[in-house]
Amino acid sequence: MVVYNFKKIGPVPSATDMVDIVLTRTQRKTPTVIHPGYKISRIRSFYMRKVKFTQQTIAERLGNIVEHFPRLNDIHPFYADLMNILYDRDHYKLALGQINTAKGLIDSLSRDYIRLLKYGDSLYRCKQLKRAALGRMCTIIKRQKSAFAYLEEVRKHLSRLPALDPHTRTLLVTGYPNVGKSSFMNKVTRANVDVQPYAFTTKSLFVGHMDHRYLRWQVIDTPGILDKPLEERNTIEMQAVTALAHLQCAVLYFVDLSEQCGYTVEQQCSLFKSIKPLFANKQLILVVNKIDVQPWETLEQEKKKMIEGLSESANCSMMLMSNVTEEGVMDVKSAACDKLLQARVDQRVVGKKVDDVMNRLQVFHPSARDDETREAFIPESVAQARKEGRIGSADHKAKKSTTGYAVTKNDGNEEMAGRNSNPDPGRKTERDIMWEMGGPGVYSMDYRKNYDLANPEHKFDAIPEIMDGKNIADYVDPDIDAKLAALEAEEDQRMAENQAARMGESDESDLDEDEEDAITKIRTVKAVSREKSGINRKQNTPVMPRSVRGRQKDKHDKAVLDTIQSHLGGLGVETEGITKNVRGRKRERKDRSVGGDAMDEEVDTTNMSSTQKKKIRKEKKDGEKREQSLARSHSRPREPSQVGLKDEEARKVATKKEITAKRAFNGLSGEGDHRKTVHLVKWMNTGKKRNGTHNKR
Amino acid sequence: MATRCQYESSNEIGVFSSLTNSYALCAIGGSENFYSIFEAELAEHIPVIHTSISGVRMVGNMTVGNRRGLLVPSTTTDQELQHLRNSLPDGVVIQRVEERLSALGNCITCNDHVALIHTDLDRETEDIISDVLGVEVFRQTVAGNALVGSYCKFTNQGGIVHPRTTVEDIEELSSLTCVPLVAGTVNRGSDVLGGGMVVNDWCAFVGMDTTSTEISVVESIFKLKGEAGGDIVKDMRASLIDQLS
Repeated sequence: MVVYNFKKIGPVPSATDMVDIVLTRTQRKTPTVIHPGYKISRIRSFYMRKVKFTQQTIAERLGNIVEHFPRLNDIHPFYADLMNILYDRDHYKLALGQINTAKGLIDSLSRDYIRLLKYGDSLYRCKQLKRAALGRMCTIIKRQKSAFAYLEEVRKHLSRLPALDPHTRTLLVTGYPNVGKSSFMNKVTRANVDVQPYAFTTKSLFVGHMDHRYLRWQVIDTPGILDKPLEERNTIEMQAVTALAHLQCAVLYFVDLSEQCGYTVEQQCSLFKSIKPLFANKQLILVVNKIDVQPWETLEQEKKKMIEGLSESANCSMMLMSNVTEEGVMDVKSAACDKLLQARVDQRVVGKKVDDVMNRLQVFHPSARDDETREAFIPESVAQARKEGRIGSADHKAKKSTTGYAVTKNDGNEEMAGRNSNPDPGRKTERDIMWEMGGPGVYSMDYRKNYDLANPEHKFDAIPEIMDGKNIADYVDPDIDAKLAALEAEEDQRMAENQAARMGESDESDLDEDEEDAITKIRTVKAVSREKSGINRKQNTPVMPRSVRGRQKDKHDKAVLDTIQSHLGGLGVETEGITKNVRGRKRERKDRSVGGDAMDEEVDTTNMSSTQKKKIRKEKKDGEKREQSLARSHSRPREPSQVGLKDEEARKVATKKEITAKRAFNGLSGEGDHRKTVHLVKWMNTGKKRNGTHNKR
Repeated sequence: MATRCQYESSNEIGVFSSLTNSYALCAIGGSENFYSIFEAELAEHIPVIHTSISGVRMVGNMTVGNRRGLLVPSTTTDQELQHLRNSLPDGVVIQRVEERLSALGNCITCNDHVALIHTDLDRETEDIISDVLGVEVFRQTVAGNALVGSYCKFTNQGGIVHPRTTVEDIEELSSLTCVPLVAGTVNRGSDVLGGGMVVNDWCAFVGMDTTSTEISVVESIFKLKGEAGGDIVKDMRASLIDQLS
């Protein structure tokens, strides 16, 4: 269901404010620095951005206005009609339409200027184009001055309309001015409508809410209406008529018997007749008001007849009421509510909606599955309390517990005590104690006090701590502290004795000389190796795995190979060719062609057979081919000749050109640097200079 | 009659408390407010016990019990068990249950005669439930939800089930539990009935958001006003239809 909340519409600025907002926003949110030295493409995009941004801001602002104001065709007819009466439908639509047109105009304008900017050939022209674009946009906005002002007024008024839900259960109060409509409203709701003893106190619709049969009801107080043709009615009356015409509600038509309102009963009856078409399909109750002043019994017979005739002709019930004595007020309220509710329920029962909630409307009683009786269990004390009416009595209202809240000054009050949920006022709850003892966070309850033990004296006894099924206390020695102290004292004493003994004795070694020597040697070797490893570690190089390290060493270090050779030789191993098999040996380039180096040399072919010559030639040819194919297949820097340049010189020139071409003009420290260094003018700076003459030149 | 209350501004009071005909459990909170709401209504008749379960405040979710017994999950500490044993009346048996689904309150719901349990509960747990609580046990779902403890609530006098339960399901549940049932909500339309309310045979507590219509349904179906309570079918039919459809 749509809920109407017109308070969400944002404020509409005046036209001049709008211009200011848009232009400052453009200024704040787009770059501001541009120099004639920049590339023209950059200058163009700078100004295009400004124009585009301004257009976007305006489109967003105007779009918001058009979107947020309710569209008369989309909202509930009651609201559409009400807005027509209050703001004039045509004016409203026109204003929104103008705003929308302005938005479209600005869109196309910005498109045009951006197209023009694409051909701007200097900073100055681009700037002029931007100025023109922004200026025209602002002019378009300024032309909508009246539309903006009108919409702002409408918005202010809309946001003050009562939050009226056209779909919910509604009672609508109507009748001549001053017949007691607002007084009734004040009696049944807490709306607090202004009541004054003159006509048209109520100038617009007022909404109040009340509860009846677990539901929330909306009561609408309308301005009084006079008996005249529809065309002649003023805005105030028309609001009441609109509400009558469009809302599905129960209507209470008020008739003032006493004629204190200034209109006779006849007049009131004729108004009823003239607006009778509006009551079609609504639940109508004819409320005869002010019976404290003019009781129904003492009313003139013809007036009586007239009113009864009314209620018969409209097929509605008539009820007597007085706001002053409150006689019949609640009867009128509940009769109207029940009538409307019945109508609404009938309407729903006809449809299929009720089937969905059937499980919630019906209590499902169990069919007995065995002979067992499953009794409720209500303790004796509860039954007793019920009998005394302390809990669960039929007149006991559902209530919000006040127990959960901080103590207020009303807590001791007799009247409030009735509302307090504590059914046993003599009992002090834990909360009361808590507040006495310093409030939450300070007081902490001793849970043991509610223990239900055979012997209440045991409540606060220390509970033994059990671990692995055994009482920890059983394993505690009562003298443990004394024993520990004794042990510590003994330890101290022993330490002192030891210390004293050590002071007296000399540290004589029980080793002989040889052993001492050996130990010294060992220590020296250890110290040296430690030193070495320290030095090695100082090289700040990554640690390579031994396998890799060894291989690399072998590959490059001739000395290692020599060492191996000499070592093996010393052992009597045949060393010839032994190093050829080491893993890290450098791999020699394999001769691919059979001819090998011979290829490049001039081969003496004089004393070769023709087949041999042929063979050699073939090999040479093959070799060339292979080299070319290798060049094609491998990605590697080509020779200058191969990249299409004649020689190294040409390549260098090309590289240099490439670098300079890539370098754009960037001033000294970038594009924005427009520093002018001192321009040395020749006539000012050449020639003789003496002290004090420099400035004169 | 039903009382509206909140636990530290949460409306899910069924999470933080549990109520049976012979005792009530309450979570330990920052203040005694929540406890005292229960205390004021109940302390005259049954013990209201502060407790935590394995150091957690969700005593309603974790435990299940009735007049005869209380089941707590295996994670309950020895101290808590000791405290509960000391506080509970002698007639109430307390039992720790070794069960994978340790939120017993969500998985089991019972009155003094019948229990509905989650379909995946262990065989042993089922036996423990029937022995300790003295109830007939049925494996059931409510409106397709296996968490029967969360989505339905019943006492010896009546019960309320998830609002989307079909008419046939309610009839079946009603014949199993042998109490009148109705579909309904608490806390302004919340379907988590086990979380939103605690109730026994004479007293109910509901979340603070519960509307007056919901309270009237609760009071009438659980017969909290004694025999004087009206029939929701007659009294509230119009209001319910107008509000719900």
